[in-house]
Amino acid sequence: MKRVGVFVCHCGINIAGTVDVERVVEVLREDPRIAYATNYIYMCSDPGQDMVADAIREQELDAVVIAACSPTLHETTFRNVSATAGINPYMCEIANIREQCSWVHTDVDRATDKAIRIIRSIVEKVHGNEALEPIPVPVTRRAMVIGGGVGGIQAALDIANAGLEVILVEREPSIGGHMAQLSETFPTLDCSQCILTPKMVEVSKHPNVRLMTYSEVEDVSGYVGNFHVRIRRHAPSVNWSTCTGCGDCMEKCPSKVPSEFDRGLTERGAIYVPFPQAVPNKPVIDRDACIYYRTGKCRLCEKVCQIGAIVFDQRDEIVEEDVGAIIVATGYDTLPCADLGEYGSGEVPDVIDGLAFERLLSASGPTTGKVRRPSDGKTPKEVVFVQCAGSRDPERYKAYCSKICCMYTAKHALLYKHRVHDGQPYIFYIDVRTGGKGYEEFYHRTEEEEGVVYLRGKVSKIFRDGDKSVVWGTDTLTGRNIEIRADLVVLATAIVSQPGVQDLVRKLKIQVDKDGFLSEAHPKLRPVESITTGFYLAGCAQGPKDIPETVAQASGAASKVIGLLANDEMQHDPTVAYVDEDLCGACRICISVCPYDAREFDEEKGVATVNEALCEGCGACVAACGCGATQQRNLTDGQIREMISASLGEA
Amino acid sequence: MINLPYYPGCTLKQRSSHLESSAIAAMEKLGVRLSEIDPWTCCGAVPPPSSERIMNLIAPVRMLRALRDSGENRLVTICDFCYNVLKRANHSMRTDDLRRKRVNAFLRENEPVRDYLPEEEPYGLPDYSGEVRVYHLMEYIRDEIGYERLSKEVSGRLEGMPIASYYGCVMLRPRKEIELDDPENPTIMEAFVSALHATPVPYPYRTECCGSYLSVSAPDASSRLAAKILGSARDHGAKGVVVSCPLCFYNLESRQEQIARSSPGFKPMPVIFFTQLLAIALGIDDPDVLGFGMHRTSLEGLLGASAIGAASGSGREKDR
Repeated sequence: MKRVGVFVCHCGINIAGTVDVERVVEVLREDPRIAYATNYIYMCSDPGQDMVADAIREQELDAVVIAACSPTLHETTFRNVSATAGINPYMCEIANIREQCSWVHTDVDRATDKAIRIIRSIVEKVHGNEALEPIPVPVTRRAMVIGGGVGGIQAALDIANAGLEVILVEREPSIGGHMAQLSETFPTLDCSQCILTPKMVEVSKHPNVRLMTYSEVEDVSGYVGNFHVRIRRHAPSVNWSTCTGCGDCMEKCPSKVPSEFDRGLTERGAIYVPFPQAVPNKPVIDRDACIYYRTGKCRLCEKVCQIGAIVFDQRDEIVEEDVGAIIVATGYDTLPCADLGEYGSGEVPDVIDGLAFERLLSASGPTTGKVRRPSDGKTPKEVVFVQCAGSRDPERYKAYCSKICCMYTAKHALLYKHRVHDGQPYIFYIDVRTGGKGYEEFYHRTEEEEGVVYLRGKVSKIFRDGDKSVVWGTDTLTGRNIEIRADLVVLATAIVSQPGVQDLVRKLKIQVDKDGFLSEAHPKLRPVESITTGFYLAGCAQGPKDIPETVAQASGAASKVIGLLANDEMQHDPTVAYVDEDLCGACRICISVCPYDAREFDEEKGVATVNEALCEGCGACVAACGCGATQQRNLTDGQIREMISASLGEA
Repeated sequence: MINLPYYPGCTLKQRSSHLESSAIAAMEKLGVRLSEIDPWTCCGAVPPPSSERIMNLIAPVRMLRALRDSGENRLVTICDFCYNVLKRANHSMRTDDLRRKRVNAFLRENEPVRDYLPEEEPYGLPDYSGEVRVYHLMEYIRDEIGYERLSKEVSGRLEGMPIASYYGCVMLRPRKEIELDDPENPTIMEAFVSALHATPVPYPYRTECCGSYLSVSAPDASSRLAAKILGSARDHGAKGVVVSCPLCFYNLESRQEQIARSSPGFKPMPVIFFTQLLAIALGIDDPDVLGFGMHRTSLEGLLGASAIGAASGSGREKDR
């Protein structure tokens, strides 16, 4: 029989407040299945860990049970302690008497009884445990980043600079994302283009980066360290290797559609680059907008292209790649103005959203940075900014705060005032939220030095009257209703998840929250990892955030990836399923229930097998197996039976 | 002729009888017979603020349940308040398990009201769970007759007539329960006006409050609101305002003398029910049917003296 030691943690008063730890130890010392038992106030602390290690050596223990908090917190800690003290780490198990006992009970006697039963059941488990070694799994030392906004660019650069290969996949014809649309950035007012475009160029020229623009992930198979991805490279209908980017084709294209990059303030041709600083600076043909694809006539671009780079019959190409880790940085969208009925459903021409106003402020925008309103090109003298347009409104739109609008609206008002000195900006707000370095100071500057009028209240209605956009709101500080006959209205529309993200997460098998933002593994301690191992998150795909936060998260995700890919192989938990081939009835139920594609069938032997690298040890196949052929290491049917008996026996 | 179960409600039998008479006649012309359900009771009239909301569901659900048991699956109503009450009661029966069980248990005589959900029906007919679709008459016209067909059936009598639509509150709200149109930027009435070949006039006050019952407790406040609505419609070029709610009609039409007293510069503005407009467009000019005698503000500015003369011969309640 193994010599098993039990170590009962008080967790301060978290456990000791409800469970009589002294009595637990007294009772366990009498147990013939337990060789040694003791308790301590913080078992996870340095003296606590030493206590465990010393006891293993001095008491010649073969196995230990730590009765403390959930194994998700400190299982690794105590397994490392056990290994240091000379026993196999899989001879260490955690009995959870905090989350599953002391925290959920108040009656001391009954909680103590329950704690004893929990510990005895884990003691029985550890008696049945065998020594295991981690399973080595080879790792493909390359990464893929999905999304070429500032987050994706940063992550790709960090990984590439660490000497690893990266594939950067971007759906649009150019990288840059929303940041490329911005004029200047809060709170320092540095020009967005000036800080972003060098990074765009750097990532496109980096020897370790393979840039795939106008491309989308088709599907992903495999597992952490060994993903196989298929990427669809949309046909640009232009031979990019011969195209010089001269722009003649774009000039001559007779088709005109609203420019996405300029938020519909200007038009682009069917053959276009999204903006002059695009990377790569090569055009694509938007086949939905192209006259030739719709009617079979035109081909004007082909005629003007002196090097014959137009290829109308070019086809989408599927590229297959192996990568070890994937970063998802697909960014955000904004709630369409059309969804906001009370603000004119997007039909009032001088009611625009924040990104459109960025284009009006941008030196590379349609008005070269002069503030002109869309309806008639006049300089607006009274501008109303509406915050929380669709945010913080659980009844009708989004319950959450979009986080960046308070700051960018303050910036908008300030930049407007700098361009139109005699203009008057008004900002309607619910609260002004300026958490961030230098943010509060920036807001105060806007309010106190720049003459921006802040009105605390919501806007109820916006409608067009003549050439004015009339704003009805309320000032809750004075209790008065307000009407402003504005020349221009800017809505800080809610940040929402990308419409395509649902499709993508289905392909990647990762999780999203109720608002469509990617779910992190732990909201505080694992904020850049997805719940599915091998996937990492960066930027607004995970939730609304500003540029500094996006870049920080991207670098965080990149460093996780670099860590994962640092070695040629990684260690996989050995508590996986295994098969007693003599018992297997070849029914293949295990294959159908496995969520990880880890169960396979060996046609030669006629038995089901386990791909240990893929198995996550969930136990679904163990439960499904009718013959008892599939068992889980260190959690066999025999062990479970003993654990049940122990927990139901005399306390 | 389609037989369509119809719930009138109290106001249509009294103060707004012209809303009913014009509706019945107009729908008849469109091949739909509005057949009054029998018996009917008060709908409950005002959605009560109480969160418990069981008692106010009894009357509407009793009628809806009886209608279902008689093999019908549609009910049309015209008054906005009746529509709001019936539709929300129905929505509650569709979506709220506890209320559905309790109301149905109440309706099943001799059975105690229970707080828990019985697993199976003890006896009798199955619970009423919102099987009937409750229509506003305007909704029925939009969804079942269609504006395209309507525009072909009507004459050109209203051709180009500038008419402002006024929505009131309860026809569209709350959005998630009523689901008729976007309450903040609705289009159903303007589309209706267009289908009658008249010209819809957009104006900002079309969804603002008319004062509702404030006309009883704070008549001046109600008058100020009504003056803004009617003035805004006039400023945007409307010659008349079309409504569907009897209370809106009262606040905007019947009280114009008081409005004029408290709002200097106010000019009378013709206000008309959508069913009257529909009846005129379909060529009806029977004065008893159109009920112009029920109006206190002249419709001459909208319809012209001759049309009024022909139709207002024997206003039944002119002197009421």
